[in-house]
Amino acid sequence: MSGILVVTEHRHGEVSAITNEVIGAGLSMKKKVGGPLMVLVISDCPNTYANSLSYEGVDEIILARVGSDYFDSKIYGEVVLGEAQAHQPELILLGHTVNGMAFGPALATQLGGGFASDVFEIDCLEGEIVATRAIYEGKAFVEVSFPGACVTVMMLRAATFPAPEEMAQVSLSQSSLDLSEISADTNHIKYIEPPSAGIDIAKSEFIMSIGRGIQDEEHVSRFAVLADRMGATLGCSRPIADAAWLPKAHQVGLTGKVAASCNLYIALGISGAVQHLHGMKHVDTIIAVNTDANAPIFNVATYGVNMDIFELAEALERQFN
Amino acid sequence: MITRELFWNLNASAITLFYVIGISAILVFVAGCLRHISKYRRGRPLLDKPDYWQGLRNLVKDLATHRTLRRRDRWAGIAHGGIFFGFLGGAIGTAIITLEYDILYPAFGLRFWNGDFYLIFSLILDLGGAAILFGVLFMMWRRAALKLMKLDYLRSYCGELDLRPSAKAWKREDWFFMIFLLAVVVSGFTEEAVRLYVDQPEWAHWSPVGWLLAQILDSMELSVETATSIRSVNWWLHGVAGLGFTAAIPWYKAKHIISSTGSLLVRDSRALSRLPMEEGDGQLGVNSIDQFNWKELLHLDACTKCGRCHEVCPARTIGSPLSPRDLILDLREHNDACQTRPDRLVSLTQGVINPETIWACRTCGACKEICPVGIEHPTLIVKMRRHLVEQGETDPMIQSVLETISNTGNSFGESARKRGHWTRELEFPIKDIRKQAADVLWFVGDYASYDPRNQKVSQTVARLLRAAKMDFGLLYEDEKTAGNDVRRIGEEGLFESLVEHNSDAMSGVKFSSILTTDPHSFNTLKNEYPQFQETAPVEHYSAVLRDLLASGRLKVVKRLGRKVTFHDPCHLGRLNGEYDAPRAVLRAIGCEIIEMPRNRDNSFCCGAGGGRIWLPDTPGKEKPSENRINEAATLDIDVFVTCCPKDLTMFEDARKTAGHEDHFEVADLAELVAEAVALDSLDLGAVPEVIERLTDAIATKVADALVDKIAESISARLEGMELATSPQALPPSEEKNPRQSVKADGVSVAWQAVPLQALKIPDYERPEKPGVRILVAIKHVGKLGEEFEISPDNLSVPDEYKDFLLNEFDDNALEQALLMAEAIDGAEVVAVTIGPEEAEVTLRKVMAKGADRGIRIWNENLEGADSMTLARILAGVSEQENPDLILTGVQSGDIANSATGTALAGILGLPHSAVIVGTEWDGSDRMTVTRELEGGLQEVFEMSAKSVLTVQVGANTPRFASMRMIKQAKKKPLIVIEEVEVPKTSTGMQVRRVYVPPQTRAQMIEGSADEVATKIGQIIRANSGA
Ligand SMILES: Cc1cc2nc3c(=O)[nH]c(=O)nc-3n(C[C@H](O)[C@H](O)[C@H](O)COP(=O)(O)OP(=O)(O)OC[C@H]3O[C@@H](n4cnc5c(N)ncnc54)[C@H](O)[C@@H]3O)c2cc1C
Repeated sequence: MSGILVVTEHRHGEVSAITNEVIGAGLSMKKKVGGPLMVLVISDCPNTYANSLSYEGVDEIILARVGSDYFDSKIYGEVVLGEAQAHQPELILLGHTVNGMAFGPALATQLGGGFASDVFEIDCLEGEIVATRAIYEGKAFVEVSFPGACVTVMMLRAATFPAPEEMAQVSLSQSSLDLSEISADTNHIKYIEPPSAGIDIAKSEFIMSIGRGIQDEEHVSRFAVLADRMGATLGCSRPIADAAWLPKAHQVGLTGKVAASCNLYIALGISGAVQHLHGMKHVDTIIAVNTDANAPIFNVATYGVNMDIFELAEALERQFN
Repeated sequence: MITRELFWNLNASAITLFYVIGISAILVFVAGCLRHISKYRRGRPLLDKPDYWQGLRNLVKDLATHRTLRRRDRWAGIAHGGIFFGFLGGAIGTAIITLEYDILYPAFGLRFWNGDFYLIFSLILDLGGAAILFGVLFMMWRRAALKLMKLDYLRSYCGELDLRPSAKAWKREDWFFMIFLLAVVVSGFTEEAVRLYVDQPEWAHWSPVGWLLAQILDSMELSVETATSIRSVNWWLHGVAGLGFTAAIPWYKAKHIISSTGSLLVRDSRALSRLPMEEGDGQLGVNSIDQFNWKELLHLDACTKCGRCHEVCPARTIGSPLSPRDLILDLREHNDACQTRPDRLVSLTQGVINPETIWACRTCGACKEICPVGIEHPTLIVKMRRHLVEQGETDPMIQSVLETISNTGNSFGESARKRGHWTRELEFPIKDIRKQAADVLWFVGDYASYDPRNQKVSQTVARLLRAAKMDFGLLYEDEKTAGNDVRRIGEEGLFESLVEHNSDAMSGVKFSSILTTDPHSFNTLKNEYPQFQETAPVEHYSAVLRDLLASGRLKVVKRLGRKVTFHDPCHLGRLNGEYDAPRAVLRAIGCEIIEMPRNRDNSFCCGAGGGRIWLPDTPGKEKPSENRINEAATLDIDVFVTCCPKDLTMFEDARKTAGHEDHFEVADLAELVAEAVALDSLDLGAVPEVIERLTDAIATKVADALVDKIAESISARLEGMELATSPQALPPSEEKNPRQSVKADGVSVAWQAVPLQALKIPDYERPEKPGVRILVAIKHVGKLGEEFEISPDNLSVPDEYKDFLLNEFDDNALEQALLMAEAIDGAEVVAVTIGPEEAEVTLRKVMAKGADRGIRIWNENLEGADSMTLARILAGVSEQENPDLILTGVQSGDIANSATGTALAGILGLPHSAVIVGTEWDGSDRMTVTRELEGGLQEVFEMSAKSVLTVQVGANTPRFASMRMIKQAKKKPLIVIEEVEVPKTSTGMQVRRVYVPPQTRAQMIEGSADEVATKIGQIIRANSGA
């Protein structure tokens, strides 16, 4: 028994980008692990997603028709468990996303196998599946394996693995489980879109972001003025938005906006947590300023400045006046 | 007979009338006094009984010398002395007459108010009257003509343009008092003059003033009839004025005759250097006026509005909204208004005292120091602060500093490990006193440890001590901030925990005295730590340097010959009376001291005390430090000398901002000493002590001999060992497990799902379920500092590089639990943590914030357990507790698996959701939950309440555990469970390698800020295609 089972994530009727990336990671592992690559879709209308999941190399798309299109942690947990028991994959892959966090670890307890989350590198070494993940806020990396486990659940970091490009004809199969037995725990009420604040991080080409390094709300305006003078859009890390020092629309990262069109990103006093990196690490030119020479942000930056942001701000104010 | 007739020319009914008036006056006086006493009795009892005998001795001395009144206002003191002694004479005189006339004579037929006694009596009273006359006239002139700032009640420092009505009343009262006094004296002299003129006794010259006036009447050729009729009318005028004055004493300004005396009697010269402990009655700090103690209420009434405190206050000087005088007067007015109308009692910050006023104080003690009547203003302020801190009504910046200190033990938010890093640049090691006994324990303090400029000074001091062959050591990371300023902010709970920590750290250590360069640490270690624990004697380095120079252990090789001025730090000078040691040092190294106008006890605060170093001053206004540095700039000096790390920071900055960079430099005392003893030329690193060399040599010998053997045995062991274990490196499961290893070809055998079970937790004592019970799992997580290393086996990061604190996500989970519990009657929040004893601090903190109970589970098998194992233990606890809802944080800041909460739900078979930012629950079966999705989208949904939710940071604002909460938490039950059978792993996880990520791309831009900015400018322009 072997193979890889990928669990699809979708929202608003579309497959989430993370699922394509997870399939990409699965494909890269397929040879090493052996067995088929199966993609499971759970929805009230799973067929609608099949087309966009039909990548070259996917062996089977399993359609599980349930009562609702909305995510429900119980349904996901039970369906995946059932399919796992039916297909006995060696590796179950999902996204390290909010949905993934909501059912992946529970699924792992039901399987009793291996588990790793926020995995950003996956490989097969000496016959073992090895996952690499970050610890201590990205200051150290750790390689783990699960030699004793017959099945391992892995949640993969977003915006890390390349999505496959080639599409193909993939055979569809209906889930063999008795899905009528599985009921939802939750009742979706509504989605709330984040309020906009007259700026669009996704469209800005030049962003200057501030993080907790600015220390106090009263310093926000100073950096806002500086960004303005430099011609940059002002972004921020999550704590700044959490504290309401800037509207949520300025937040860059996983639960904020991805700086999709950006080609120059300046990070001031941002440590470089993975969720923040999610929104900006792809940018061509990144300048990071941080007093901590080991801050993980320097691992993605093009240019690093190991300096107090206030000291630098003063100099920048002189530069751009 | 030589005497005078008391009731001259009065018939019996007139005498009766006089007695009626007299007795009424006394009754009114007594009633007034009683009224005040009942006012003070509303206050709290005193914690420490004052030393009344010592107080009395000081009182008599102070009054007799008029020392406190003459200070910095000589003539006002002398004039007051005239009034005081004149009045005292008059009062004693009247008492003597009453004694004879109304008691001794009627009862025993005894008379003594005649003859020589009468003559001397007359002389003294006559001169006394003259003294009052001079005093009052001088005071009137001073008020009317001099327009002194300190006597101006207009609060221009906080932008007031017109006198407020109460201030106008104060002004009227001041004048009424002087005029009333004048009336008594003038009518007295008039009576004497006409009496002497009419009676012409031969001893008239024993009343020189009266006699002089009689001579004048004589020269005016006043008729005897006129004089006689003046005499009888004026007799009544004087009598009624005198009695009226007596009756009125307790009812207006004159009451200070009594209240100030009382205030001086109970004054505590150490009131600020040793702040009072928290009152034992459960009420923290002062919220309403009746929560001051009776002594403090008495202090309020003692104020005479002399304005000395108003004049010296650094806050008032720079236009902050605080004048100690007005603070006292406002409190007094409110207290009087509330005495009979308890319905007027309000929270003081609601309309009586502005919170900004309370936070403006720098606890420099200048007001208390100069107050002639012993008012202890800063103590009142700190007590009001205590209440505000307790209520969480502090400036957000103060709040965050307090939190930083409570998490890291220092106000810089730096890791404790870096506390000793300043010693790395020394050419010799400093003893770790925890391992090696030393004579002197050097308590370094925050600024001297972490601030780069002050680190230089610390290094200099260390070299000086080394050069003087002193035997000293540091506590290194076991030292936390001493807490002087934390206490002055009013965070008594945090202060107490700092005392506890530092006392514990010092208690296991061998030394005979403590040394510090920081006057703030010096003050609290010396005066306040003994309130809690016996503490070794404490010395400030200025005194130590003085002694080292005097004894020749430090030799001056070059007399500096510089002109210097010296700034007395408040906490060294005013609070601890040490003015001479630093000056002695300066003289010893050949400096010429040019004093600033405000020196010694009149030193002007740099503005950093009382926690104000953590708050910015109003931009655009002159800061206290600038005011001070400008004062120094009027002198011809080369160096402005400080001996306090905070001073150095403040004044170096002020010298720049006030534009005196070219004028003089700011230096620490130790730096000048270093120059004078040519420290640079001394070879300090050189020869280690003989003993050290000997032990070193022996150790090397032994090690050489053993090294091969050890190597052999290690390699033998390694061979027999399986993969090393470490926090995550766990050998394969020891449980019975049908799964088999994945083979090299990637084909697994015997696929089987084996659901994880809860691990059994033995039953423990816990209360009946009160209704709703929420269980919160929290973690004491290690955060890596800037510097760390991977363990030699490359499998973990050693704990020594971590700073441990409450996981940020769990703080939000706890807050969410508390908010939910508060909305449901009788709900209970139980916190559980899996962690070693060190994690108990965090558990206690969580209980301080509001969790009702705590459970800590630990045994060594748990070291490095995977998140599934942790979830299984939490499941075991849940089975015992049977909670209605379980919350955890989304992830832990260290390992960041985002697994524990959801896994726990999986094991328990409970509904669950992750990354929650909102909940609505009334305790029923269902609840509404909001979770946050990628891109900031939120989803609102409804689910069953009995569930496990993982809470996202930012879901709420976690509360701050204040003094009362910390106190109360100590009484809350905390259960420790060690008997748990823990499997080595629940996932079969093995750590292969831990490593530091390669720094892939960043090209570091070096250089000055301006160079970097230029380079960034180029990058921006290149990027925009310009
Ligand atoms: C599910 C989930 C979603 C999340 N989504 C996001 C997201 O969308 N976006 C996001 O940003 N975060 C997100 N986070 C939070 C993320 O994990 C981090 O907590 C956050 O990014 C940290 O922000 P920061 O770098 O500003 O703060 P910190 O990590 O506190 O870093 C501050 C940095 O400033 C430096 N610094 C301090 N003072 C100075 C100074 N004077 N000069 C120079 N440098 C200084 C420090 O050295 C430090 O490196 C999410 C977390 C979770 C769990």
